[in-house]
Parts: sequence; structure tokens; C-alpha cells
Amino acid sequence: MCVGGLRAKLRPVIPGVCKGELLIVDRYISFFGEVDPVTGCLKNTTDLCVGGKVLVFRGSRGSTVAPYILYALRKNSKAPTCMLVKEVEPMLVAGCVLGEIPLYVVLNYHEVVEACRNMCAEVEGDELRVHKCT
Amino acid sequence: MYLTKDQEKMLSGEYGWAAAKALELIVRVGGAMGAEELVEVKHAHVSGVSYTNVGDHGLEFLSDFYAKGGRARVYTTINPGCVDYSGLSNIIDNDFAARQMLVDNILQSMGFKPVHTCIPHYHRPPLENEHLAWGESSAVIYANSVFGARTNREGGPVALSASITGYTYKAGLHIESNRVARVKVEVPAISRGVPPGALGLWIGDHIREIPYITGVKNLDVSGVKSLLASMAASGNHALAVLNGITPRNTYRVEIEDKVVVEDKALEEYLGDDISSGDRVLGYVGCPHLHPVELLKVVELLRKYGPPRKGKLMITVPREYAITFQSILYELRVRGVDVAVGTCPIVSRLKEKFDVVLTNSGKALFYMKKIHGVKARIVGVEEVVKCVCRGFKS
Repeated sequence: MCVGGLRAKLRPVIPGVCKGELLIVDRYISFFGEVDPVTGCLKNTTDLCVGGKVLVFRGSRGSTVAPYILYALRKNSKAPTCMLVKEVEPMLVAGCVLGEIPLYVVLNYHEVVEACRNMCAEVEGDELRVHKCT
Repeated sequence: MYLTKDQEKMLSGEYGWAAAKALELIVRVGGAMGAEELVEVKHAHVSGVSYTNVGDHGLEFLSDFYAKGGRARVYTTINPGCVDYSGLSNIIDNDFAARQMLVDNILQSMGFKPVHTCIPHYHRPPLENEHLAWGESSAVIYANSVFGARTNREGGPVALSASITGYTYKAGLHIESNRVARVKVEVPAISRGVPPGALGLWIGDHIREIPYITGVKNLDVSGVKSLLASMAASGNHALAVLNGITPRNTYRVEIEDKVVVEDKALEEYLGDDISSGDRVLGYVGCPHLHPVELLKVVELLRKYGPPRKGKLMITVPREYAITFQSILYELRVRGVDVAVGTCPIVSRLKEKFDVVLTNSGKALFYMKKIHGVKARIVGVEEVVKCVCRGFKS
């Protein structure tokens, strides 16, 4: 169990403030088609909403319109606080630059995904500190 | 990152706000991707053109760049819009025509060629090892894999920035040592007639490395387009080495793993079953039809048409409205809904359907998510035959 104290190594891609409740969506996401830019929720869900969360997912896929969706999420105040991914591609980086969303690669991604659901986290330098939400 | 004196001037604003902001975006993305320098591009292709995709925030973004001096420095083409530019489609909803016109006016005024297509290689086939900055995932993978050109999956704003500056960051697939196929994918199913779109969706879902795909060299244009576009939709592939198709001096092969894709694995990627009574839309043209495919559809309509068991829609580049006017006329007379410069993935539909029957894995991937319909992949001939003669004939 990830009961506080788990530390994950990160590779900063776009460094920035990254602190809050983890939302783990353990798959690749096509922001166009799979995320509603107005609500910030994954399509056909009401509980998986990225706004204000530390979004943990494998990486981006699909349409190159994604940066505009991330930009719209920022403008609609529904952007994630930051993103933690297994792998990056240029399109996701562009979207995070445009949407002003800090982006990190988690080097032990699977350990974080398997152990850290319903937890909170904070990035310090190149380290992710996971703890119970208060 | 090393910048030339000219690039430094641009970044400092000597060429205006738009060029400085555009270069800043490229430098920041490039820096994060590990680029050490920029590279000149010969052709930018801008995605994020459809108003229903980019919305008002995207429109503001584009408007800002135009108003503050953003203009094309290199040959630039643009993706489909959300309206049918012929005005003759009964399926594509043109309700957003006024907003789309605003987007189009901005892009055209920036000096972009208003081709409104996802197959920019129809207008300017790239050269081997030529550096491009293309958005549109299906076009990117086609440029790298079929023409041997060099482009990353640029997000729409980066492709726009590359057009305004003439540069993109030199990282990823712009560098030869990154164009290495490490997973060999054998697909006996393709020779047995399994639609390439289903294979593409499977590869996108299961393979992360650049694949070296064998057994596909006899695919026609339609098959290659569908295979590649599907991989780029369900995955994030920008290059697949297709044995017998990809130009030899544009990649390296260092195989570390081998995968044989069995027919059974592809079954779930064929999509949903069609029930009797379903309102069926047959759809061909994702990505937009190449002229060879257009002629094939005409032949099939002469053989099986007209569509009596469902609607049949095709989508083509905007320029076909003039270049292939007589062919489009014949198709319309034969009962086909021809939409120009758009497609159902980037637009809204006027009519409700229960199921889309298509040759395109990409269309299946997005139609289900965007329009909430069932979708099924079959070959091009089966699409036409089914909507003309019925699903079981």
C-alpha cells in the first residue's frame, strides 16, 4: 500500500508547481474526442474530471488538435494542476506549454499507479512525494 | 539551445510579436524534447482548423496571431473545416458556417493555402528526408512512412508557429538516429483480406516502438492510408516502416522483438455488429480520398448503386470541387452524399445514424467517441455494396 512516504523519481519536462490530489487514469488519452474541454471530464464520465487534479496517465495519443483542447481547459479553468506521465511526445509537450501545465515523466510509473490511488502528492525538484490527502 | 543570429533577432521581437511568440513556443517545446538547434522546414500543415474542434478559445488564439502580424514564411496548407464547402451535403451540419468563416478568413489572410484537407501530400508530395512541420496525425505518419520525409506529430499551434517562423525544433524524427524500427510486426491476416484499419487500431493499442511491418507491400493506396491513420489514432505513432513501401534510406532497422498478429486478435477491432433496422451510414474518405480511391468509388457505384439500404457519404479535399467536378456530379446523381473540405470527425451531423460502416479505423475510433454511434470496419467495396444491396446480400 502507498500509505505515505512513497517517493517516485521524476524527469521534469516542463517544471512548475505540482501539488494536489492524484487522478490516475492508467491508459493513453486522446484529449480530442476523450476529454470535454468545457467540463474537463473524460467523455461519458462524471467522476473522472481532470480540473485541479494531478493527472497521472500513460501519455497522449490520437489527434494533433490536443494542444487546443489543453489550451481551452486552461481558459475554462478546468486544466489539471500538472501531469505525470509514463512517456511524452511532442504534441503533449506543446499542449502543456500552451496550457501552462507542468509536465513530468514518472520513472517508476507503474509503482505509482498500482499503489497510489486516492492519494495526494507533491513534486519537489525531481521527486514526487505521495501522502494521504488531508 | 543554439540559435543563429537571425533566430535570436526573431526571438527578441525584431520581426514582430507574432514571430517572437511563435519561436518562443517552438524553442520551449524543443527544449523540453531535448533539441539542441532548430531546423528549416519546407512545408507546414496546420491542424486545428475546424471551429467545432478548436472552439472560441482556439479562434481567439488564431485571431491574436493574425492581428499581431503572423504571416506564413513557408508553404502552408490547412486541415478540414467543420462545414461542407460545396453546400450540397445533406448530412454535414453547416450551422457553424459563420464561425468557421472567421477561422478560414484568418488562416487565409495569414497566407495559408485553404486546401481544407487531411491529405496535404496530394497538393505537395514531400521529398525524401525533407524537413516538414505537419499537424494532422494521419498526414504525419503518411509523410514519414510513405514519402520518407521528416516530421514529428506537431500539435496544431506548433505547426502554425513553424509556418510563421520557417523553423521547427530539431528533435525526434528530424534526426536520423531516432528513425529506428525495433519491433517486427508480421500480419498474415492482411493477405486474407482483413481490413488494414483494424490492424492499425491493434498496432496503435499494443506497440509503443516504431514498428517494422511486413506483409503489407501489396496494399493499395486506400489500405496504406487506412492502416497508418488508424495507428496514429489509437496510438501515438508518427512512423511505421512498411517493408517494400518506405524509402530505404530514410530509416534503420534494429529488431529487438517480433510480434505475429493473428486474425483472432483483430476481431475485436472490427467494431460493432449491425442489427436489422439500424440506420446505416456508409462512409469512405477518412483520411480524404485520393483521386485513385475516388475513381474506385465511382466504379463501385456503377456496379452496385444506388444506395437503397442506407446513406453513403464520401469526403474529399476542397480542391476536388473544381478539379473533379464532373466525377462529384456523377456521384451525387447516383445518390452519394459528397462533402468537400470537411469530414464527420471534425463536424456535426444533421442526421442521426445507429451505425457507421467504414473502411477507416480512424473513423471508427472517433465516430464512436464523438457521435456516440456504433461503427464497423469493412473493405471499401463492402461499404458500397452493403449500403446499396443490403448487409447480407
